[in-house]
Amino acid sequence: MSQEKFLYRHIGPSDSEVPAMLETIGVESVDDLIAKTLPENILLKRVLRLPKSQTEHEYLKHIWEIAQKNLVYKSYIGLGYYNTITPSVILRNIFENPSWYTSYTPYQAEISQGRLEALLNFQTVVMELTGMPIANASLLDEATAAAEAMMMFYNSRTSAQAENRVLKFFVDKNSWPQTIDVLRTRALPFEIEVIVGDYKTYSLGNDFFGALVQYPGADGIIHDYSGFIQKAHEKEIQVAVAADILSLTILVPPGNIGVDAVLGSTQRFGIPMGYGGPHAAYFAVTEKYKRAIPGRIIGVTKDVHGLPALRLAIQTREQHIKRERATSNICTAQALLAIMAGMYAVYHGKTGLQHIALHIHRSASTLAHKIEALGYEVVSKNIFDTIEIRLPHEVTSDELQRIAEERMINLRYEAKNTVFISVDETTTIDDLNVLLDLFAVAIFKKYQPIESLEHSLSFDNMHLRDDDYFTQDIFKLYSCETEMMRYIKKLERRDISLTQSMISLGSCTMKLNAAT
Amino acid sequence: MLPLSWPEFQCIHPFAPLDQVEGYHQLLNRLGKWLCEITGMSQITFQPNSGAAGEYTGLYIIHKYHESKNEHQRKIVLIPSSAHGTNPASAAMAGLKVVVINCDDNGNIDFNDLKEKANQYKEELSCLMLTYPSTHGVFEEQVKDIIDYVHSLGAQVYMDGANMNAQVGLTSPGTIGVDVCHLNLHKTFAIPHGGGGPGSGPVCVAEHLVEFLPTHPLAAVGGQKGGTAVSASPWGSALIAEISYAYIAMLGAEGLAEATKYAIFNANYMAARLKKKFKILYTGKNGFVAHEMIIDCREFKKMADVSEIDIAKRLMDYGFHAPTVSFPVHGTLMVEPTESESKQELDRFIDAMFAIYEEIEEIASDKYPKNDNVLKNAPHTAAHVASDSWAHPYSRQKAAFPLSWIQENKFWPACGRTDDAFGDRNLVCSCSPIDEYRKSL
Repeated sequence: MSQEKFLYRHIGPSDSEVPAMLETIGVESVDDLIAKTLPENILLKRVLRLPKSQTEHEYLKHIWEIAQKNLVYKSYIGLGYYNTITPSVILRNIFENPSWYTSYTPYQAEISQGRLEALLNFQTVVMELTGMPIANASLLDEATAAAEAMMMFYNSRTSAQAENRVLKFFVDKNSWPQTIDVLRTRALPFEIEVIVGDYKTYSLGNDFFGALVQYPGADGIIHDYSGFIQKAHEKEIQVAVAADILSLTILVPPGNIGVDAVLGSTQRFGIPMGYGGPHAAYFAVTEKYKRAIPGRIIGVTKDVHGLPALRLAIQTREQHIKRERATSNICTAQALLAIMAGMYAVYHGKTGLQHIALHIHRSASTLAHKIEALGYEVVSKNIFDTIEIRLPHEVTSDELQRIAEERMINLRYEAKNTVFISVDETTTIDDLNVLLDLFAVAIFKKYQPIESLEHSLSFDNMHLRDDDYFTQDIFKLYSCETEMMRYIKKLERRDISLTQSMISLGSCTMKLNAAT
Repeated sequence: MLPLSWPEFQCIHPFAPLDQVEGYHQLLNRLGKWLCEITGMSQITFQPNSGAAGEYTGLYIIHKYHESKNEHQRKIVLIPSSAHGTNPASAAMAGLKVVVINCDDNGNIDFNDLKEKANQYKEELSCLMLTYPSTHGVFEEQVKDIIDYVHSLGAQVYMDGANMNAQVGLTSPGTIGVDVCHLNLHKTFAIPHGGGGPGSGPVCVAEHLVEFLPTHPLAAVGGQKGGTAVSASPWGSALIAEISYAYIAMLGAEGLAEATKYAIFNANYMAARLKKKFKILYTGKNGFVAHEMIIDCREFKKMADVSEIDIAKRLMDYGFHAPTVSFPVHGTLMVEPTESESKQELDRFIDAMFAIYEEIEEIASDKYPKNDNVLKNAPHTAAHVASDSWAHPYSRQKAAFPLSWIQENKFWPACGRTDDAFGDRNLVCSCSPIDEYRKSL
């Protein structure tokens, strides 16, 4: 085998080792073994039609050429996906580190304490920010997390509701369109009727078992759901809030207004958009749902020496034990991304995260006022990071899109006269001025550049978070890179991954994950 | 994997206009075609973000198909008792009723039981969920007959992709005759496991199901009669698709087939050596295993009160992660070495298993008591071994350095064996109270 070929690097046994192994097995050749192992009537009997193999070096050139065909426009689309900065200490020490990315689901607790602690941190971050007492160690994405909430509520209906076949689930119209779509999919087999409406005006009847609202809404507005939740609870309707985790660093958390479940994406916590994923969704519930919650939960226990230790908790809910009676089919979740998101929060701490959230909010509100000054109507008040702009009749969204794309900018265009802008952690004052420029050009006006961000908050004071959170040491000890690097290394050393030894898990195929 | 850190792959919004993402679509289209060629299927959806999500999606596609033929009543799914737990859990999520099919003494699907149950429910039969080679680590000889039989009743056949690493380039779901299969790109196609995710579970379908692939509200994907979305993003976890793309591009057709052969070769080498001390539960008709094998540990319980869990924990002292424990058969270990492990690494693992076998024999012969021995007390932490008090009947060296090569690359487990029941009784799932917790212990 040529050493240049990737196959040579991918296959473990070397040419010199094979003869002895064949002898041990008692076959003439590898092909002889295959002929004696696979039934004759299922053989493919031809070579797969695939391109000629590339060497690693050739491949990197090839994939670089493909990469150049993705044009990196500055995205202000929002809808649950934002630009974010992965701290380099996390990028190099976790995302690009095989000791973290080649390990397995931590069923074997004693050699998994590192990532178990990292995932416990993730849960702590979620619990602290949502104001909920229990969180899991991630779900697949925000939309499926919403569907899991719906199903958890469906299975937790009161006996009267179940008896009367109460099957309606309310979704506020300001939820992400992709979330609503996935809810419909998952509702189908159980004849659940997904009703999309306006939470402000819709009157929930006794024929509803659950509801979902988005916080802040897809319209960018920080809605006050407390009245809605209270009314729902009076009718024993369970309520979930899909919340922007970053906004919760400065906004009143859903847990404080009595919701039953909070869920969302943690993509904004340093996980690249990556054209849709992977990112970790979070899922938090009240005490009542302790045994009904889907997915993996990391819990504290003690070891045989009486010392604290971590492991997967209440596995008796899970598919590998309960099979068709499990609370979900979650096996693989988003561990690596949850670990990174948790570390992002650990690294920034409360002050850092609040600084990021406030910077985003101030950027959005400064931009909103400046765009308004140009003569546009800014529809949304009381916002966190997203502004809704109504275009005057002389500007169409098509025209605006053309001007924006010339500047390599993507906005969210809805209908002919509505545009949304979601700003994020990466947005600078220069970026805001480019945005302002394009809105000015579209209506043939000049603009006053932004020199500094407005300091005052543009949302109602009642939404401002004033309770204490992140009081744990974990959020205070690792703000300098040296400490962070050592903390990541400390956890890494507690785990067995493919960097230590073979992981011979049956039906899991822990093969080489090539660096190229 | 290197390109995953490049901005051209990282900084792209999933709802960006298509003319900006030609690179991603070239990659996804090619990868989709390659995976269809590998599976012998016609079309693919990348939406599902895990194998289990893929199972759900496959069942959803099958449901749409039956619905199109006005056969709404087809809501029963046949699942062999050896199936992974996600199969029945996904079926329940899809609103289907699970009927379990027994396995025979050789670990194969009991064809007579299948016929009987399939016939009993033939009007309501939606599909059979199959894993191939079976989770018992064997290429079942009668798989085609089983599939033909299920098809003859108007039902579909779903294949779980967990064991695709024994098929690629040698056979395929399409060749075998299944209608839908998911792939675990994070197993067979080299995406790392990430400590429990990310996964990627695209679903491939045969021609007659292409029009039922799921759609998405913000992108033109899926079939004309496809249902609503199964994931937030139209192309699932697009970023990591690059890893599987690289894997196939760099191996090519012959390399993929070689990889499969060596996966089976490595497994059979291990089986050939391990069977000198351990009972391999199931083998094919010529006495060979597929790409994995089940080691029966139940006799050790009688011999020395040693369980499969004790062996799993003891392997940690030797620096190894345990094989799969008690699945699909209780009291066993399931070992899958993959093609990527060298002879020296396989030998190290086998040596560790042989050494553990001797340790079990020592207990069986009463050299060490059944309740205080290296297996029951495993894993041994550094603090435990270095402690000033040592009251065990075996030496510290035996505890931590049972074989000479361990010294050179010792891995110390971070804690002793965990008490699962205690933690479940006192559920704490945040790091806040650890200090208080420590005091309370």
